[in-house]
Amino acid sequence: MKKLLDTLGHYLDVTLCNIKLALMVIIEYPASIAGWLISNPIQFIVGFATIKFVVAQFGEINGWNYGQLAFLYGLSVISHAVSMMFFVQGWFMGYSVIEGDFDRYLTRPLGVLYQFFFTTFNIFGITDLIPGIVVFIYGCIETGFRFTLGNAVGILVMIIGAAFIRGGIYIMLGSTSFWTKSANDFGQYTQEIFDKSTMYPISMYPESLQFILTYLIPIGWVSFYPVSGLMGIETAVGIGSGNVWITFAVGIIVMLAAGLMFRIGLRRYESAGN
Amino acid sequence: MSYLYVMKTQLIRSFTYRFDVYGNIIMQTIIMVTTAFFWKALFGSGSFGNGMTADKMLTYTIISSAMSVLFTTGVERRIQRSVQQGSISVEMIHPINVFGVYFAEDMGTIAALLFQNLLPIIIIGSLVIKVPMIVSVSAIPMFAASLVLSMGINWLLAAIFGMWAFTAVEMDALIQVKKHLLRLLSGSIIPIWFFPDSLRAVLEALPFVYIYQLPLDIYVGSASTEDILRRMVIQVIWFAVLGTAFFILQRRVLGKVMVQGG
Amino acid sequence: MIRVNDLHKEYHVVKKGQGLSGAVKGLFKSEKLTVNAVNGLNFHINEGEIVGFIGPNGSGKSTTIKMMTGILTPTSGEVLINGQNITKHRKEAVRDIGVVFGQRTQLNWDLRLEESFELLRHIYRIDKKQYSETLEVMDEILGIGEILSKPVRQMSLGQRMKGDLAASMLHSPKVLFLDEPTIGLDVGTKYSLRKFIKEINRLRKTTVILTTHDLGDIQQLCERIIIINSGVIMEDGNLSEIVERIAPYRTLKVEFYDSDIPKHERAELISEDNNVACYKFFKSELTAAELIRDLSGEKAIKDISIEEAGIDDIIRIAYGIKNVE
Repeated sequence: MKKLLDTLGHYLDVTLCNIKLALMVIIEYPASIAGWLISNPIQFIVGFATIKFVVAQFGEINGWNYGQLAFLYGLSVISHAVSMMFFVQGWFMGYSVIEGDFDRYLTRPLGVLYQFFFTTFNIFGITDLIPGIVVFIYGCIETGFRFTLGNAVGILVMIIGAAFIRGGIYIMLGSTSFWTKSANDFGQYTQEIFDKSTMYPISMYPESLQFILTYLIPIGWVSFYPVSGLMGIETAVGIGSGNVWITFAVGIIVMLAAGLMFRIGLRRYESAGN
Repeated sequence: MSYLYVMKTQLIRSFTYRFDVYGNIIMQTIIMVTTAFFWKALFGSGSFGNGMTADKMLTYTIISSAMSVLFTTGVERRIQRSVQQGSISVEMIHPINVFGVYFAEDMGTIAALLFQNLLPIIIIGSLVIKVPMIVSVSAIPMFAASLVLSMGINWLLAAIFGMWAFTAVEMDALIQVKKHLLRLLSGSIIPIWFFPDSLRAVLEALPFVYIYQLPLDIYVGSASTEDILRRMVIQVIWFAVLGTAFFILQRRVLGKVMVQGG
Repeated sequence: MIRVNDLHKEYHVVKKGQGLSGAVKGLFKSEKLTVNAVNGLNFHINEGEIVGFIGPNGSGKSTTIKMMTGILTPTSGEVLINGQNITKHRKEAVRDIGVVFGQRTQLNWDLRLEESFELLRHIYRIDKKQYSETLEVMDEILGIGEILSKPVRQMSLGQRMKGDLAASMLHSPKVLFLDEPTIGLDVGTKYSLRKFIKEINRLRKTTVILTTHDLGDIQQLCERIIIINSGVIMEDGNLSEIVERIAPYRTLKVEFYDSDIPKHERAELISEDNNVACYKFFKSELTAAELIRDLSGEKAIKDISIEEAGIDDIIRIAYGIKNVE
């Protein structure tokens, strides 16, 4: 137990040092912050506006009105932002595999996956948070969502779980590069699939697809099920407000599976230039 | 010719990553199928003001997915990398135009993708969703003409954006802005007929809708012939404007490299 | 300190077809080849040794070093660092090693050197006192002080290399692995790097393992060399003993007063250039004194020098390149 705490303390210490260094790098390149501060919010605000136009034409999407959709969209973007801050490196894992970046991590006495994600901490992920929070607040107002302590905790738990699910899936996709020996870059596609399946209610899709998104590739748990729970909307899996905890559990499971896959893949790592 | 050689090399290079090929097809199929279901659920059995039905919207989705393959560009990244690594001045020693090489590379990639992605997407789309038939045989020549112009506009936009790399080193964010605007405002995912009229008027003045929306409208027959002809004229104008801008800019940019040495 | 037992590494390579048709065919079926990059290595390295790994490109020496540092997982066999299996207990075992690759830096491009060091201080949990002591030593030998506040991206190759070396020594590892440390460096930097390696080996008893193509590195640093080719050890032992065994000859370079050069029955005349001649002779057959006496008996000698067989000869012989004579 003492040893575990000691290890945790050590990782926390290194993490803080990394965050400090990441901030220093950003301060040296202020132009890039400005770029991301504009680019990321534009993407989501425009994306949200297009949903509004669609809803305006059809009234509602599968029984969800505009306020509820904003609530769903906002939370989806927030968990996306968190996953960007901590796990965006997963999108580029293929390049690291091919270019031998893991050499450095493997020769240091810390977890490889930890170093991979945290030695280049992505502060810019914060810029995604802004539009997420704006849309989420809008959704709260429109739906008259009541902020109780239980709800607040539920939302926090859900965001952590959802970020884990996203991160785990990035890791799994990135790890395929250990087998294929090519820099698979599915970042953009992953993002599009996540957009399609987390920003709209998945109940609009056929049952077969819903089944896949619930049990096989558990993207349904990123936003649809927990938000339905919070909104009190009945879904195929029922349950209600407990959904946020299932999201959390699913997140942990996906992360563990991803870690396992990464470890197995790492044994096939060939460094660069062989 | 040397540009053809560059194109062929790129074509071969694109074929060598087998997993990439299959992975991309799978991902694009998932995106296409979910989009199709999305519209199916929204439309139900109803129809939209301009005669659009769920059935036509499915055709729209499949063709839009297939078309996205033709709009693959690597020119922005290529320029950025060349400038950052300083290899641009070396590349300019060769007796061929650098931008010509980038264009040939992109065309080579697209040629490979025709078989690797476009064909599989249409086949899978036909099997899983529906056979995406064009609205009438007489629309084919117009569709083809407008598609070629679309590809031109798309590439020129990418190249002009890429040239930013010569001024601002950090341009990842800019490329992203352009990518998202293109994705959301070109009609590739959501047709702009859903947008409010005022916004639509603004968008029709910008080049983005002439990349996806116009050829797609021709293909599914969701606009009147006069309307199509009017927009094709604007498309030609945009192509000419961007082409001219590109030639002026590239001459200036390459001149700058000559002076500064990259 | 280091023990390598029956180490093997196999790679699977996908065979690619030629040209466009080959590329298209490759989409549907491909042939796999198994390559044995490292094929049964056994050796032992003691504390305080400086060992040079030598071998041509593709010989498996890089693969070996990468397995010894925990970067690659062996197909079979094991590497023990200070008694710990590096594959099974990577995190513990790598505390005892420092690694520098000449071709690529371990430092963060965007940071100043001291910031990279600061991160390493946290990673290895080096206490402040020890840290500043080590830095002082580094400054003394390598002159690291003047580049501490310089961003890595602005450094010359030599400065970066010094930074990398210092970074790898911050946590005072027992073993230092250097993969082509002097590649591309100028004479002055090479000199100070070699001095650094000798110094830390003398002062801290640090075991050093290096791969190199630079004969100067080997001659000046290594007492022991391990020659690898095609994934197996060709030679392993004391440098001068290997020289003695593989190339037990010397060359005598003689300058005469004119170009009429005499021959000797027990020494081979390997080159003549105007007044200067080189004789190759085996120590077991002839002593240098005898050869000089015999030659000076025939012609007047102006100047002489004796050369041991060069390390390059050893390497060529060991690699199996026969054009030495």
